[in-house]
Amino acid sequence: MSRRRKLKDAGLDVVTLVAVILLLFPVIWVIVASFKPNSEILAGGFWPEELTFEHYRAILARSDFLIALRNSLIVGLASAIVSTLVALPAAYSLARFKYRGREGFGLLILSTQMLPHVAILVPLVIVMRSLELSNTLTGLAITHLTLGLPIAVWMLRGYIAEVPVELEEAAMIDGCSRLGAMVRVVLPLVAPAIVAVATFAFVLSWGEYLLALALITSTDVKTLPLALQALFDPYSFSWGEVMAGGVIIALPAIILFQIVRRYMIGGLVAGGVKG
Amino acid sequence: MPRSAAVAATRSRAQTSGRAWRRRQRRLPYYLVAPAVAVALAVAVLPLIYGLWLSFQDWYLLRSPTPEWTGLGNYADLFRDTAFWDAFVRTWIWTLGTVAVEFGLGLPLALLLNRDTPICRSLSALILTPWVTPFIVVAYGWRFLLDSEVGSLHAVFAFLGIVGDRSILSEPGLNLAMVTFISGWKGTPFMVIALLAALKNIPDELYEAARIDGAGAWQRLRYITLPLIRNTAIAIGLVLGILAFYSFDLAWIMTRGGPGESTTIVGIMIFQVFFTELRPAYAATISTAMLLVLLIASWLTLRTRGEETAA
Repeated sequence: MSRRRKLKDAGLDVVTLVAVILLLFPVIWVIVASFKPNSEILAGGFWPEELTFEHYRAILARSDFLIALRNSLIVGLASAIVSTLVALPAAYSLARFKYRGREGFGLLILSTQMLPHVAILVPLVIVMRSLELSNTLTGLAITHLTLGLPIAVWMLRGYIAEVPVELEEAAMIDGCSRLGAMVRVVLPLVAPAIVAVATFAFVLSWGEYLLALALITSTDVKTLPLALQALFDPYSFSWGEVMAGGVIIALPAIILFQIVRRYMIGGLVAGGVKG
Repeated sequence: MPRSAAVAATRSRAQTSGRAWRRRQRRLPYYLVAPAVAVALAVAVLPLIYGLWLSFQDWYLLRSPTPEWTGLGNYADLFRDTAFWDAFVRTWIWTLGTVAVEFGLGLPLALLLNRDTPICRSLSALILTPWVTPFIVVAYGWRFLLDSEVGSLHAVFAFLGIVGDRSILSEPGLNLAMVTFISGWKGTPFMVIALLAALKNIPDELYEAARIDGAGAWQRLRYITLPLIRNTAIAIGLVLGILAFYSFDLAWIMTRGGPGESTTIVGIMIFQVFFTELRPAYAATISTAMLLVLLIASWLTLRTRGEETAA
């Protein structure tokens, strides 16, 4: 019985493995193609006969791509840091105090998560234009706050609620102020979750396409997704280079997400995050 | 919280004058939550209200630089706009198709992964990859696969006689089906993770009891698993449906809504009306109308769900 069971599990493991590989196939294909010489890409086939880094060399030699890399880093870091700094006190307030309007505030913040960007695109762009913030990294970073902030508040609220109130009270008896207790007691305990939500906000901003497309037109403030799109030059265009660019964009997102995954999963499912 | 009240009392006596301190304490939670609420108001609520106001304006950038009040004029135009209704129908096909693919791929995968083996544990982590990969990358990856000159999937489709020399993305009808499938594929990992969480909550005892009663694998699935994950499935289907309803990125990067208007879903139409036709007020009208449709659809779904749970 137990042997049959093991055999059955092994069989199902193989089926699962094949199914997951099939699901991931398009992503795997992008990675493989980015290492293939152009001649092999044109010939088709899967296994590369020789590996090449020429596409990576070519794309990293393009100044527009490097500028976009820098811009994406700036916008991603700025929006991640600001959303975390704004989310943390809000999460603490929602988790620790009972006051009038609390549920309403919580719902308001969370509902911005569900609001589709395309639905508020027109007014958002018009407002950004009239504030002269379109075509600036600042403007883009501000709109990117909608990506990470709600989920950060939601998740940190849960993590803070799990910290026993008694710990803070002990610190307050010892002479800490309420905020002092928050900084000295709660903050260190939820630090991994803070890093996780900040990382996640960065990942969301890093790959964001629609707002960047709508707000940014000049090359010097383009982010990576727009730079990848610009590679589709009708005169000199290489699939290998586009795939290499794709890997450069996708890899940080995939790796960073895997690192913080176990802090995020529960909240993601509850919050219904745009992917 | 009697204990923290005691703490507060000790503290206030020891330091500041009691009343001022208490007032500050009462306001503290508001101060703490204020920045987040301000951001939510500035980047979500105000644009929504401004968008609603815009939808009552006549504003065609080539004709007039400033908006003029027109009341329900835009809505009357929208009602007669056949291009909009075509896009509307396509959006429903897209939305329902996306969610159907997500269930079709997601449920079997979740059932397969719901076993406690080392392989399943590592695959559950890996499976999220399509979902975290940015749209721009997966869209170009699929365009590469479907390209009429170098695409390997195109070669397969051509061999099967589904397409001729042109890519499936250039064939009206087929292209909408293909991009809808890709949209579902991109959302599948999220579905898997959500269903997996629901599956893990089903107590093993139920399955053992059923096994003792002589229920086969199929019957256990039909009478235990599916009913118990039903509520999660509806909730997650609704969330993914709303996301699909407002899709833009994938369809835009893959086909720009074309050829012709064959893949123009409403998200793309809003973008084009705004940026190509330069009619911001009309674009805002479409957005507002779509939000209304969505509110009604979600409300109906949740209500039927509530009634069934109550019954």
